Amino acid sequence: MKYAMLIYGDDTGWLDLPAEERAALREAELPRWYALFEELGRVDPNVTGKELATRHSAKVVRVRDGERIVTDGPFAQTKEILGGLFLVDLPDLDEAIRLAALVPAAEDGSIEIRPVLQ
Amino acid sequence: MEYLALIHADENVWASMEPSERERWYERYRTFSSDARAAGVMTGGNELAPTADATTVRVRDHETLVTDGPYAEVKEALGGYYLFECGSLDEALDWAARIPGAEHGAVEVRPVHFDPEEAHL
Repeated sequence: MKYAMLIYGDDTGWLDLPAEERAALREAELPRWYALFEELGRVDPNVTGKELATRHSAKVVRVRDGERIVTDGPFAQTKEILGGLFLVDLPDLDEAIRLAALVPAAEDGSIEIRPVLQ
Repeated sequence: MEYLALIHADENVWASMEPSERERWYERYRTFSSDARAAGVMTGGNELAPTADATTVRVRDHETLVTDGPYAEVKEALGGYYLFECGSLDEALDWAARIPGAEHGAVEVRPVHFDPEEAHL
């Protein structure tokens, strides 16, 4: 079964930090992400993952009565925002839960697991 | 540059549709996908199972907490996405506006972060 793992986190405090501090924190956390990539790759060699740019770059598009309306995003004005996702083929939900718990962002955010419809 | 187009729409509207109407929407999605693929723009995309089938995982103080349902209850939930390869944000917005869900829901367009110095999946 294919699952999307949606990584939600609060990025507001993060964006307030000076750029050098952000870079240092990111650098420090990278080994854990790389270890996760390795584990995901072992379970599903075709796994894919995308990290999204910050909320400031989000736009929202709606079409109403044939007219296009573009607003600054993100869509949901919540503190927690989608920061990235993995798409991974797994034997069952238990395995998805085990892997979701390895995502560093699970410790201060939430990982939502959604089956993908074929 | 890659862009993720996240389709948010009211799940209840979708679930309560007549099957024939839902099939008409699916047909429009198939047409859109094949156009976007033919243009070399669409590099990925998936429809997600409804939020009723979601499971949310958090780790707090080294303990894994698992709850049924989405991370947040919202009226217009994320229902699927497309991944576009486009030359500019404007081009990505043009394609996003052609996604059928833009007509009754909202499509959030987000650039994908890419750093050539870092490993990627």
